[in-house]
Amino acid sequence: MQYQRHITLPNDVQATTELGMFVEEVCENVGFDMGTTFKLNLAIEEAVVNVMSYAYPAGTKGDVDIDAEANDEQLKFIISDSGTPFDPTKQGEVDTTLSAEERGIGGLGIHLIRQIMDTINYERVDGKNVLTLRKKLTKNL
Amino acid sequence: MKTTFKEEDNFFVMYFEGRLDTAASAQTEEEMKPLYDCSGHDIILDCTNLEYISSSGLRLFLGLLKTAKPKGSHVYIRGINEDLRQVFAMTGFINLFEFK
Repeated sequence: MQYQRHITLPNDVQATTELGMFVEEVCENVGFDMGTTFKLNLAIEEAVVNVMSYAYPAGTKGDVDIDAEANDEQLKFIISDSGTPFDPTKQGEVDTTLSAEERGIGGLGIHLIRQIMDTINYERVDGKNVLTLRKKLTKNL
Repeated sequence: MKTTFKEEDNFFVMYFEGRLDTAASAQTEEEMKPLYDCSGHDIILDCTNLEYISSSGLRLFLGLLKTAKPKGSHVYIRGINEDLRQVFAMTGFINLFEFK
């Protein structure tokens, strides 16, 4: 099986609903169950929202490209933008054992991506941030 | 995404319906403001019809908890489905909230 889909979204968080529909269509095509689809939706939303919120200076427009590629072994999402260099994989781990008083509100997004995806890889290529998230197809969550 | 606020037996109850994604979070934050004025009331966040939540929604829940706790109010989560429960587990939120 070879499957490929692409979507370009503006850096506007209102587009996350459209992103959700895109991810659901991809997951349905590769045969993921609803629970796994839910989690992938979450991981991809977190990664894309990060780009929408921080890649481009406030008030400027920019795009985020999302490529989904699947073969018999894995589903891969490649998220790219032409914004400020930023490697989300360098962000520290959140401590999920802290109390409500001690918990900060940041870092949850990357934490969820790490929990859900099998691998996360960042590269800076030709002036672009390229984040690749992989999920093995054999493994429903 | 739709929310409904009700006072039931001295509880402040907010019903969440639909997808609490990043696109919905700003409006939902506004709609949750009445809950912040909770002195003397415990709060129930009814998630029976909540289909999805991302970190922006989780932040709203945590923000409410941080405000309510010092006022002596409990924040209960009611009716979450299995997918949502797993998100609460992955983020450690399962230990922060009380569940009904």
